[in-house]
Amino acid sequence: MSDNPTDEMQVHGTLLMGFAQACMNLNIVAGANAQRLIAELEMGKWYPFSQLRAIEDVVMRSYQNSGPILVKVGMVMMHNWYQYGPGRSVLKGGASFLHYQTGSGGYQSVVQGAPEIIGTFDIEFYDRRRGRAVIHSTTPFSKDLERGVLIGGMSAPGDLDYVDVTAGEDSSFLHCEFH
Amino acid sequence: MTLEEVLAQNDAELLAKLPSAELARLFWRYKGLQKSVERDNSFWSSTNDNLKQAYEKLDEQERELARTYAIIQDDLSVAQNVQRALLPRMLGEMSEELELAVYHKQLTEVGGDYYDFFRLPNNRYAIGVFDISGHGVSAALITAFLKAQFMQVMEHFDSPQGIVEWVNRTSFDFLREVRKYATVNLVSFEPDGFRYVSGGGYGMLLHNNETHLFEKKNHFLGLRLKPYREFSLPFSQGDLLVLYTDGMVEAQNAAGVDYSVRRLNNLIIEHRDAPVQEIVDRCVADYESFRHKDFDDITLLVMRKKGNP
Repeated sequence: MSDNPTDEMQVHGTLLMGFAQACMNLNIVAGANAQRLIAELEMGKWYPFSQLRAIEDVVMRSYQNSGPILVKVGMVMMHNWYQYGPGRSVLKGGASFLHYQTGSGGYQSVVQGAPEIIGTFDIEFYDRRRGRAVIHSTTPFSKDLERGVLIGGMSAPGDLDYVDVTAGEDSSFLHCEFH
Repeated sequence: MTLEEVLAQNDAELLAKLPSAELARLFWRYKGLQKSVERDNSFWSSTNDNLKQAYEKLDEQERELARTYAIIQDDLSVAQNVQRALLPRMLGEMSEELELAVYHKQLTEVGGDYYDFFRLPNNRYAIGVFDISGHGVSAALITAFLKAQFMQVMEHFDSPQGIVEWVNRTSFDFLREVRKYATVNLVSFEPDGFRYVSGGGYGMLLHNNETHLFEKKNHFLGLRLKPYREFSLPFSQGDLLVLYTDGMVEAQNAAGVDYSVRRLNNLIIEHRDAPVQEIVDRCVADYESFRHKDFDDITLLVMRKKGNP
């Protein structure tokens, strides 16, 4: 655990706690394992990325088909962020989440480290009228988790009737559809 | 009119009044719900697979437990045979002087009740009844240890006091270390009587028309390093001597009432003239009709002094 940014990839306590809390809400991890996940976590601190990866590994090991689980975890994370965290005050609507998440308040605010390690999370294409967007993600996070984060973040305000995010053939491109 | 207003009025015919933009919203809301159900189905399907895997793992662990249990049962069965083989047979002079019947039942496969017949240096014999604290394998191991101790000392002492004190002294540290202790009832037979040391055991002599209960002023083996007191009683033709552990008398019925020393002793006194095996059988039958369940190992020895051969 560290208070200082370093080149090593680190994730903010809020992200780690959100991820762990979502796993507990969905009963993906329970009992002593769950307690261990959040024990000694502090919201304001930075933690090695490996700590988040360890939780992700628990999910991957436990489920033969972990994709739908990670999508759901991402959705619940963002639901909690919107309902109980700062989400409601910073989003103007579901579609604006894409700009928020790709801007300085989103990915960049909860992950730090050398650029070549933490990667990027950018809007490649955005058409509000047609309800289409493409996100280019080179982050080390699971793409299923990122899909869940995008779906959950766009759905949370409740103004969109339809939200879906699929990975393209090149899985670093996430195709969003929202209406 | 908006989609929300149509839905609030719960009237499908109002859909015709919706403008195209609201109809498009209805389309996307329907598709959105479909997508949401699809995602939920995928999630629950993965969860279901995970549960299936967990059940399969549980099944495998149950089979493993069953295999381990079978091995333990086999081991216990061997231990039970060993413990049975360690039980004594009547010595020649004993069978000439005594009619003896024994009821000996361990609560589990192996146990901590133990009785033994010993030959003494003066060509007489002794009977010992012991109850090691606890049950099961640990108690059974202590019985083997105590048997070895008694076998060793019997070659050197004639008196129950000397024997018990020696065993207590040499076993004390070991018994303290393994946090075990044992009741003791050791009786050495003379031509016209017997001497005994009783530390926690139960004994009763029916001599002529008198009833003598064993003095229980001594301590258990392994509890204190203090001298033991020895007592003597007459033992004539037709007298009945009974030695037992607490397994029977401390067992309870469904209402929580003890079977009790008094009930057992009275039953024996009532049938004092019956053959010793019949006395034992009556005691066991009465006990079994009373007790809710066995709670401890049980040992009951009933012996009658025969006439001179």
